[in-house]
Amino acid sequence: MAKKIGVYVCECGNNIADNVDIDRVIEAISPLRDVAVVEKHRLLCSEDGKEFLKQSIKDHELTHLVVAACSPKQHEHTFMSVCEAANFNPYLFQMANIREQCAWVTQDKEEATDKAIRQIAAAIARVAYHEALEKKDMDVSPDVLVIGGGIAGIKATQVLAAPDRKVYLVEKGSSLGGKVKGFDKLFTKMESGSVLIENELKKLQEDENIEVFTNSEVEQILGFFGNFEIKVVRKAANEELNFNVGAVVLATGFDLMDPKGLTQYGHGKLDDVYTSLEFEEMNFSTGKVLLKNGKPPESVAIIHCVGREDKGYCSKVCCMYSLKFARMLKAQLPKVKVSQLYSDLCIPGKAYQKFYEETKGLGVEFIRAEKTNVTQNGKGMTLKYESESGTKGDLAVDMVILVPAMEPSSDTDKFAEMLGIPMDDEGFPAQEHQKLAPVASSVEGIFVVGCAQGPKNISESIVQSEAAAGKILSSLVPGRKLELEVKTSEISETFCTGCKTCISVCPYSAISFDDFKKISVVNEALCHGCGVCAAACPSGAASVKNFAFTQIYQEVEALLK
Amino acid sequence: MENYGNSTSVLVIGAGVAGIEASLLLANSGAKVYLVEKASYFGGNVIKWEEVFPNMECATCMIAPKQQELLQNENIKLLTLSQIEAVEGSVGDFSVKVKKKARYVDLENCIGCNECFEPCPVEVDNEFEEGLSKRKAIYIPCAGALPNAPIIDTDNCLRFKGEDCQLCQEACMFEAIDYTQQDEELQLNVGAIIVATGFKTFDLTQAPQYGYKKLNNVYSIVEVERICASNGPTEGQIVLQNGEAPKSVAIIHCVGREEKGYCSSVCCMASIKQAHFLKNKLPTVKVSQLYSDLCVPGRVYQKFYEEVKESGVDFIRATVSEVTQQGTGLAIKYKTEDGEENTLNVDMLILAPAIEPEIGSSKLAEVLAIPQDEYGFFSEEKPDLDSVGTSREGIFIAGCAQSPKDIPDTVAEAEATVGKILSLSR
Repeated sequence: MAKKIGVYVCECGNNIADNVDIDRVIEAISPLRDVAVVEKHRLLCSEDGKEFLKQSIKDHELTHLVVAACSPKQHEHTFMSVCEAANFNPYLFQMANIREQCAWVTQDKEEATDKAIRQIAAAIARVAYHEALEKKDMDVSPDVLVIGGGIAGIKATQVLAAPDRKVYLVEKGSSLGGKVKGFDKLFTKMESGSVLIENELKKLQEDENIEVFTNSEVEQILGFFGNFEIKVVRKAANEELNFNVGAVVLATGFDLMDPKGLTQYGHGKLDDVYTSLEFEEMNFSTGKVLLKNGKPPESVAIIHCVGREDKGYCSKVCCMYSLKFARMLKAQLPKVKVSQLYSDLCIPGKAYQKFYEETKGLGVEFIRAEKTNVTQNGKGMTLKYESESGTKGDLAVDMVILVPAMEPSSDTDKFAEMLGIPMDDEGFPAQEHQKLAPVASSVEGIFVVGCAQGPKNISESIVQSEAAAGKILSSLVPGRKLELEVKTSEISETFCTGCKTCISVCPYSAISFDDFKKISVVNEALCHGCGVCAAACPSGAASVKNFAFTQIYQEVEALLK
Repeated sequence: MENYGNSTSVLVIGAGVAGIEASLLLANSGAKVYLVEKASYFGGNVIKWEEVFPNMECATCMIAPKQQELLQNENIKLLTLSQIEAVEGSVGDFSVKVKKKARYVDLENCIGCNECFEPCPVEVDNEFEEGLSKRKAIYIPCAGALPNAPIIDTDNCLRFKGEDCQLCQEACMFEAIDYTQQDEELQLNVGAIIVATGFKTFDLTQAPQYGYKKLNNVYSIVEVERICASNGPTEGQIVLQNGEAPKSVAIIHCVGREEKGYCSSVCCMASIKQAHFLKNKLPTVKVSQLYSDLCVPGRVYQKFYEEVKESGVDFIRATVSEVTQQGTGLAIKYKTEDGEENTLNVDMLILAPAIEPEIGSSKLAEVLAIPQDEYGFFSEEKPDLDSVGTSREGIFIAGCAQSPKDIPDTVAEAEATVGKILSLSR
C-alpha cells in the first residue's frame, strides 16, 4: 500500500509563527517523498485543533502522521490520544519539536526556519518506517509472598491480605516476631516489644487470607512482576510447596556487626562486655541486669558507633536505644552510674529530643569519645577514651554495652542474589530510585522493606511495609490485566550470536538465555525499552521497537542532508 | 466501608512530593483523586531545590516526569489555589467543602507562552524566590512551574485596584485572561483523606544573634537554594550583595532547634549539600560548618559527608554566640566544647533553620478534627505502630506534616497511606 504521510505544522499562536517562516516550511516539506498533505494550524493542542487533526487523519486516509509543534514532553500524549480517537495507530505518529528546539533558541528567523525544515524532514523520514505497534497486557496474580516474619513482614502481610488476595508469609525460624519480640522495652514509650508482637500476631491468626509457613525456606523465585513462581520448603515436614504470586516483599531484617574483630572493645574476652542484643536478651530472659558474678552493676558504660567506621554509615537507631538502655538501667538500679560514650548524637525527628533530655536529667553522663579502649582492671574494667579534639580521659566501670553497626541479614544477601538485585556500596539491596522509590528494588515487583533496606526504627519499618503494600495494591488489582511497555527490545534469532553481552547490561534482568537455541531472549513483561541492549549488542541483533537502525538512520540522514 | 476499593474517591491535601506520589498510586489503582493545593503551582518545596542529596540529582528534573504524569492522569483532578473549608461525615463518606480562588487565567486556553508578563507595569517581590527577585502582578513563580499558566495577584494588579489597565489581556493571543472569573465553592464526596501539607522553616528573625535581615549577606538555607538554582534569581550565580563571588562561607546548623525542642533531621544533610554545591561552583571558596552534633542517619549519607569533608570543607563543633559586621564581611564568634573562644571571618553566612509545620496547619487540624502534637505537627495514631493514621478513621498524614523528614521517608509515608486506604476495602 502506498504511504500517505500527513504533516501538520502548529503555529502555537505566535510562539512558533513569529520566529519560523511557516509558509517556507510548508513549501520545503510538501515535495518530500510520501507526503500527501501539509497543513498549518494556529494551535493544534486546542479543542478546535484536535478536532481538525482527527478529521484530517480520516479525510485523507493517512497512513503516517507528523506533528511539528512543541516538545513531545508537552503534547505527545495529547496527539497520541487524537490518533486513538481517529482509529489511527498512535505509533505511526512522530512529533517534530520546532518550538523549544527552533523558534525559542535563536533570534534568527532564517536559521530557525532552516532547522525546523530539517527536523520535520527527519520526522517524515523516520515515521515512514515506523511499525504499527499494539498495546499488550497480561493476566497477573494478585497474591503476594512476604519473606521474613519480623514486625515489617507481619505488618506487610496484614495490610495486603484480602478476600481476593492471598498472602504467604514465610519465616525460616520457628516463630514469628523477629527481633522486636525479644525487646522488653521500646523507645520512647517504654512499652513491651513482646506484647506488641503478640497483639499483631492475633490479627494474623484471625485472617483466613493469610498462610503462614514457619520453619520454612524460600528455595526458588522464578518469573517476573505479576507472575512469580515460588518454591518453599517446609523443613520440619520435609514438604515442598509451589505457588504463584504477583509480587514479593523482602523483610529479612538485620544482623549486628560482630564486634570480635574490633579487639579494642574486649568483646568475647572480658567478662562483662555485651553487645546491645546480648544485653536485651539478658534483660528479657531474666528480667534482671546482672554481672557474670551475679551481682548488679554499679557502673555501666554504653559505647556508641561500634564498627561505624568500618561500615561507612550511621545505623540511625543506636543513639535512641542507648538512651533506652540508660532508662532501663536507672529504673532497675536507681543508684547505677551510666555513661554514654559517643561522637555525635543522632536523634532525628520530633519525638526524640525530649526523651534524650529526660534521660540526661536522670543523671546519665554523656562523654564525647571518638576512640575507646577497654581493658580489665581488677574486678572491673578501665575505659581509656579520646575525643576528636584530643581530650583524653579514663573511666572505671563494671559493665560495658557495645552498640554495633546494623547490617542487612545474611538472608537479605541470599535473596538479593537469587532475584538479581545488585547491592549498593554499603551492602544493602539497590533501590529503584534513591529518593522517589525507597521500597521498590531495582527488579520490578520485588520490594525491600524494614532493616533489610537500611537501618531504621520500628515505625519506619512499618511505614515501609505499608508503602510496599500501597505500591502492590495500586498495580496488582484483582481481575485487572497488567499493561506492558509497547516499545520493548527485540532480539533477532538470525543475528544473535549468543555472546550474552545484552544479559550482562540489562538493568531490568529482562533478558535470559535460551540454552537450546543458544540465543538471548527478551521477556516483554520485564523490558522497559531503555535500549541499553541495542547499544551494547556487537552483532546488531538487539533493537528497540520503533528505534531500530533503519528508523534512526533514516532520521539522521534526513537531518544531515 | 462497602463502597471502598476501586470506586474510592480520595482527597489529597497538599501537592508536594508526598501528595503527588499518593495521588499517582491511588489513581493507578482506579481510584478518583482530588488533589488540593493552596498555591498556584504544584510540586511543593522540592521544586525550590536545585539538587537533592546525596546523588545531587536536579530536583525539578527528578519530579517533573511525575508532575507530567499527574497532569495527564484522567483519574486525578488537580485543584490549585484551593483550600479546605469544611469536612463532615466519616470514613467511606466524607463530604468536603473546598474554596477555589480565581486565577483569572483560563487553564484550558492558556498555553504558558508568558507574553502577558512583559506589558504588566507592576513589579513586586517574588515570594517563591524568597524576595530575591521581582515579579509582575500577572506571573508564574519560576520558569518550569506547573501548571504552566500564570495567575493574577489581585492585591497588586492595577485593574483590581480600580484602575483601567488591561495590558495583559491585550497581550494574550488566546483569550486566556478573564477578569470576570469568580472564586468557586466545590463540594466533594470522598472515602478517605490524606494530609500532606509539608513544612515551612523557622523564622530566623526569632534568633537575632545571627544577624538575619540585619546584616548583609546572611541568608537562610532556602534562599541559598534559590541562589544556587539555575532557574532562580541569579540563574545559579553564587554572588554576594555587591555582585562578587564569596571567598568564604559559613553554615550554622540547628538554628531554632533549642526553641523548637527537636532535631529537624534533614538540615545536616542539606547543609553538607550546600557546601558540596558551593565547592563545585567556586572551587577556591572556603566553607566552614558550625554544628553541635552531626546527624547523617541511614545507609547512604555518611559517604556523602566524608566526600564533602575530603573536599576541604571545615567542620567545627561549636556554639555560635554572635554574628557582627566586620568591614564588608561578617565576624562569627563561637565557643568550642573545650571552652575555647574563637572568631571566624566570612563573606557569607548561611543559616540552617529548624523545620516547622506549614502555615495554616492549626486551622486545617480544626477543620479535619484531628489532633496536633505539642510542636504543631499532626499527631499520628500510634507512634510505633501507626505513624500515618490519625485518631479520625479515614484521615491519614504523610511527610513533613507529621514530622521533619527527608524525601525517601516522605515518599514511603505517602505510599503507606495508599496501602492503608486501599486495604480498607476488606
